[in-house]
Amino acid sequence: MAEVKVKPEIPDPMDIESRIIELCHQFPHGITDQVIQNDMPHMEAQQRAMAINRLLSMGQLDLLRSNAGLLYRIKESQNASKMKGSDNQEKLVYQIIEDAGNKGIWSRDIRYKSNLPLTEINKILKNLESKKLIKAVKSVAASKKKVYMLYNLQPDRSVTGGAWYSDQDFESEFVEVLNQQCFKFLQSKAEAARESKQNPMIQRNSSFASSHEVWKYICELGISKVELSMEDIETILNTLIYDGKVEMTIIAAKEGTVGSVDGQMKLYRAVSPLIQPTGLVRTPCGLCPVFDDCHEGGEISPSNCIYMTEWLEF
Amino acid sequence: MTQAEIKLCSLLLHEHFGEIVEKIGTQLLRAGGQALRGIAGGTGLLLDQVKKALCVLIQHNLATFRPRRGGVEYEAQCGRILRILRYPRYIYTAKTLYGDTGELIVEELLLNGQLTMSAVVRKVADRLTETMEDGKTMDYADVSSTFVRLVDTHFVQRCPLVPEGPQSPEVPPPPAPTLLSSDKDMYTVPRLSLVGKGKRRRSCEEEDGEPRVKKQKQEGESSEAPPDDGIYWQVNIDRFHQHFRDQAIVSAVANRMDQVGASEGLAPLGAEVPHPAALSFAPTPQTSSEIVRTMLRMSEVTTSSGAPYTQPLSSNEIFRSLPAGYNIVKQVLDQYLALLADDPLEFVGKSGDSGGGMYTVNLHKALASLATATLESVVEERYKQPFFQDFCPFPLHVTGVPAPRRFGSRCARIFRLLLRKKHLEQKQVEDFAMIPAKEAKEMLYKMLSESFVSLQEIPKTPDHAPSRTFYLYTVNVPAAARMLLHRCYKSVANLMERRQFETKENKRLLEKSQRVEAILASMQATGAEPAQLQEIEEMITAPERQQLETLKRNVNKIDASENQVDETIFVLESFIESTVKRP
Repeated sequence: MAEVKVKPEIPDPMDIESRIIELCHQFPHGITDQVIQNDMPHMEAQQRAMAINRLLSMGQLDLLRSNAGLLYRIKESQNASKMKGSDNQEKLVYQIIEDAGNKGIWSRDIRYKSNLPLTEINKILKNLESKKLIKAVKSVAASKKKVYMLYNLQPDRSVTGGAWYSDQDFESEFVEVLNQQCFKFLQSKAEAARESKQNPMIQRNSSFASSHEVWKYICELGISKVELSMEDIETILNTLIYDGKVEMTIIAAKEGTVGSVDGQMKLYRAVSPLIQPTGLVRTPCGLCPVFDDCHEGGEISPSNCIYMTEWLEF
Repeated sequence: MTQAEIKLCSLLLHEHFGEIVEKIGTQLLRAGGQALRGIAGGTGLLLDQVKKALCVLIQHNLATFRPRRGGVEYEAQCGRILRILRYPRYIYTAKTLYGDTGELIVEELLLNGQLTMSAVVRKVADRLTETMEDGKTMDYADVSSTFVRLVDTHFVQRCPLVPEGPQSPEVPPPPAPTLLSSDKDMYTVPRLSLVGKGKRRRSCEEEDGEPRVKKQKQEGESSEAPPDDGIYWQVNIDRFHQHFRDQAIVSAVANRMDQVGASEGLAPLGAEVPHPAALSFAPTPQTSSEIVRTMLRMSEVTTSSGAPYTQPLSSNEIFRSLPAGYNIVKQVLDQYLALLADDPLEFVGKSGDSGGGMYTVNLHKALASLATATLESVVEERYKQPFFQDFCPFPLHVTGVPAPRRFGSRCARIFRLLLRKKHLEQKQVEDFAMIPAKEAKEMLYKMLSESFVSLQEIPKTPDHAPSRTFYLYTVNVPAAARMLLHRCYKSVANLMERRQFETKENKRLLEKSQRVEAILASMQATGAEPAQLQEIEEMITAPERQQLETLKRNVNKIDASENQVDETIFVLESFIESTVKRP
């Protein structure tokens, strides 16, 4: 009997690729190497690798790493079309930026994640920007830092600073104006309550204003070009508390009452200060900038103090 | 005792008792307890002078003695010496509470340190008689009754006595007696029948015959020992402090809770009767503070001065003790009490429900709030100075000219923010306070350099590398209070020095004006013509008169500001004392 040599069937490379793509479609979360091997046990490792590499270079598969090893995932078709004409490095950088979501990512972090040299990164970023795929947003925390994010995403509040920042500048006058307006509103409410001359309990309760009321008042006043949320108003009211002009209490409110958040409502009330300016600040010594250098017989002493002389002349 | 305190004490001693006492007082403060020889050696004064000075100090309760190491050791009480600054406030309080008589009694006791009751009564009667119209005299009985009232409310107390013991001839008397004071006798007035009237000091020309007769009679009186010999009285400083503390709490409550309106309030008694409903609900001005004042008055003698809370008082008791003429209904009182207890200030707390609700006043909390309010006020006013120098450094109530309130109020905002949130990072401070980063940084550093604010380091790595450490800003209230207290002492010392400097500068002028006045007085007594008087008066020229006026005004201004700083000192000291844990 002659030996029959069984010629190993060389499966068509195209078939392997299409088979792999079919498998990927079957498992949209991604397939490991093991899965492909199980499916086509007669395939050699080398052929498998070649097929996978071809699919990757064509941009039809995504390569991911997981704890189990490498995962292959089918890539969405429109992305695949977008990336045509860009090479692998650009695709990698784009992917990293996409993953960063709307917080954006700093160029140094991109470098760490992709292990590409700085010059390459810069070239790629310029390229992507010109293709209008990504954009640079200046972060408000450090003004020299630029974070990159996808073109059509809204930057997160932590990056732009929210309603109080316009173009990275803190709008202190705007905050001051809001501050004063809120305080005037609360003060007039307290005055109205005082004038009503009722039962002290009712008087006190009616001098309170909830944060929702203040918010409505400010919106109606129309001094703000930017839409302000209730949390924004609450931060302004908090600054009034730190100024010592307003006090806050929290009461339990039924769910569904206007302005209640999680069953609570914050109420604010204008108050007057606890004490008059204290005795020490009525003397020049309390405000003197060179207080520590002053002693009798020295250059600066009580006998020749110019601040005292000025003060005595008033 | 810090340098500033010792300096202030020596200034006070010098001003009130003279140079020798000042030297010895300072020596005792610096070196602690010393024996007689040590003091003499340290100051280089004669033994005789040292003895006399020590007598003065002990008489005024400024120094104590005790037997030690085979001799007697003397020690000066720094805290008590600093109270000399507060004497005007004590006298003024006595005046508001007990009228002129009370004022003079307290003044005499403060000026003399320790006195017997008969001596006090006699002196005060004499002084009061002088101010009265001709022919009227002050009766001893009035003065005694005021004295007894002062003792009953504990404003005046007995000095510690040498205990009565069996005198055995073998045992030598101890080198220094140990003084004892018994609580039970501290406020009991001995039964004296002081009969007499105040004597007016007459000038020598009138009634030549009588003074001689009177003099003999007086000498006859003084030869017998007064009936209460050995029982000496002194001013009870702690009680006055309690009163000041109560005043501060009541005014804080009034500022916060009551709306002062002259036009508001109940119709005066005797006006047409308003509708009953309106009457019961109409808020009187100052009601909350009146309620707190009543509560504090009721606790005056039941609560010790260092207690954190007053004894619980039921709302029924409070209602009964409200001042007469305060016609609010019980329900309104209850409502006010509930409001006070709910207020974020937390001055009044509810401790039970019996008797209509038991309420207490949180003394320690109130003192802490007052101290933090003082700190905030200092931060706000202090940093009102802009960071360039060519600008008037003084705020509104000093100059009367308003200064732009830009920087100070922002610093105060950061300060209060840190007080509330305890520990914050630099970035968080900017976010919460809504202040631009650059300004916030500058203000935080300025406050840090003056120790209002401190840094807490929290390292992430064991090597404490600065780039990997959290730096949190925080306010340590007792430390800041102590720092501010130290500043206050130094400020008062500065003010006193300035006052003495101004007086010394114009010494020549003052002497001249005194001479002129003396000449005028003697000439008037001998009967001179108006022309001659005019001539003498013109010895002081107009510009000199102007200068004297200015000097008087300046000295008064500085004096007044010393008292104001003393108010700050009082609040801070009470707070610091309340934070010291007693064993």
